Amino acid sequence: MEIHINGPRPQNGRKVILQGNEACAKGAIYAGCRFFAGYPITPSTEIIELMSSEIVNVGGTFIQMEDEIASACAAVGARWGGKRAMTATSGPGFTLMQETIGFAAVTETPVVIVNVQRGGPSTGQPTMSSQQDIYQVKYGSHGDYEIIALTPSSAQEMYDFTIRAFELSEKFRTPVILLADEAVGHLREKVVIYDGERKIRGGHRNYVVSPQEDFYMGNNSLVEGQLHDEEGKRIGHLAPKSSDFINSINRKITNHIDEIHDIETYLMEDADIAILAYGSVARPALNAVKTAKGIREEAEEKWKKLRFLKGLLKSKALHENPYSHLNVGLIKVNAVWPFPDNEIRRLAEKCKYVFVPEMNIGKYYKEVERCLHHSKVISLPKIGGEIHKPTEILDAIAKEVEESE
Amino acid sequence: MRLNVRFAGAGGQGVISSSVLLAKAYGIGEDYNVSQTQSYGPEARGGACKAEVVVSDENIDYMKVDDVDVFIAYNQTGYDKYCAELDDTDTVLINSTLVETKNSQHYEIPGTAIAEEMGNPTVVNMVMLGALTKLLPKLHYDKVIRFIREDFPASLATSNIEAFDRGYKYMEEELIRRLKTQS
Repeated sequence: MEIHINGPRPQNGRKVILQGNEACAKGAIYAGCRFFAGYPITPSTEIIELMSSEIVNVGGTFIQMEDEIASACAAVGARWGGKRAMTATSGPGFTLMQETIGFAAVTETPVVIVNVQRGGPSTGQPTMSSQQDIYQVKYGSHGDYEIIALTPSSAQEMYDFTIRAFELSEKFRTPVILLADEAVGHLREKVVIYDGERKIRGGHRNYVVSPQEDFYMGNNSLVEGQLHDEEGKRIGHLAPKSSDFINSINRKITNHIDEIHDIETYLMEDADIAILAYGSVARPALNAVKTAKGIREEAEEKWKKLRFLKGLLKSKALHENPYSHLNVGLIKVNAVWPFPDNEIRRLAEKCKYVFVPEMNIGKYYKEVERCLHHSKVISLPKIGGEIHKPTEILDAIAKEVEESE
Repeated sequence: MRLNVRFAGAGGQGVISSSVLLAKAYGIGEDYNVSQTQSYGPEARGGACKAEVVVSDENIDYMKVDDVDVFIAYNQTGYDKYCAELDDTDTVLINSTLVETKNSQHYEIPGTAIAEEMGNPTVVNMVMLGALTKLLPKLHYDKVIRFIREDFPASLATSNIEAFDRGYKYMEEELIRRLKTQS
């Protein structure tokens, strides 16, 4: 499965080994991010580290702020001044940024915020992975607003989705969250990166109520955290106008789910069991599907030959596949918010079971359950900081299927 | 082909840095798919440290090691922690200066001793990487050297390359010795 940046990939790509976090920073610079403010926190520090040295080379600005509140505010301010801006953090810092995220949503400021999730609550588990912030990312700030959140599962996707986050934030003039996790942030893989800068159109007028094509442009722009009209004047005391405003900042996202949602599938055509996964957990989930379908045995055979040739490693006995009776497929959700109801309903309508493995106490499965009426939705939570093993997912599925038949 | 390599040792021994070099040599040098992951505690030095590299000619779905093929232990704690998971057919390299084993099948490389002999104990990871490179399939000496040169400043690269070379040659001799005793 390969993810595409919207439109064709440029030709001048080169292959490098990068950590997910480093790929995110490189992606941001390629997407034209020229302002970065941040406060280092494990496991997102590599983004800040690389930004501090590289953004200066392209004429950008890096500031290490006193905390995460200031970091998010500085990024919003920089965007008003005309620079594409980003900040990166992890759980504790993301909590501090919530006020600014709501502020960015109401002022319709395009800004990218990266949350490389670690175990929580509070200081929690600095060096371990989690997906516990899946609801915070949508409901973290007060009031009615919609958010866009992307969940990368590989170093390449850290690069691609960062670029996509900038594209979406500029198009819909809204904060976009790149919801990564430690497992993918600290994963080193081969990544194709590009030199130069990608053209991203900013200041789309058709989705926006707030004044100005863009915030600067030499005019005396009024930017207002209270609900406001096209001229930036306060309308918070006028019920009908306020209602229109709230509808507008929500509907510009919910009415365009077709342009935002990003779902990949694997062997879903005739599957009656679906595994629905997002972020790094989609990797073992894909492996689980291949294992059940016996697709991995070919790999095993080839490796056996190589061992024999080398003469140093003896072949391991091939076991019979205990999961061959499970007719599974994978639904990989790349844009977790806004929740792609229609698409998931279409893909999973024939499935008897839908399993949702996630590295938290079981959260996103509730959304899936709400959306699917004919399938049995089963949560496969894992907490403690380690990613699911493919066999854990398969064992849970086999057990459930056996019990209910 | 899927090759699962696990490194274990203490923070500060260069466990992660050697695994990154292996990933770069396989990934960019030999153009395989690779994934490198690590786990460590909050402390900068000391503490248990584990690094994993998966090499494959197919897409790597599950990025962690699922079934170890090659295991490298830099210290006794790491060896004891992960040894129970191994099969008889798995290849094991140990830093025999710091690790004791009763299994004669394990490859014993006196990594720390060789590094101290060079007057630079910090290059123990390069000695181990050299020995590992000799042992692994489809991996060439010069591909690893290239990334040692790229990753270290020139002043440090020389001693690291020398350590790598010593480890490589040590394993070469060890393999010849084993072949002779077999025949």
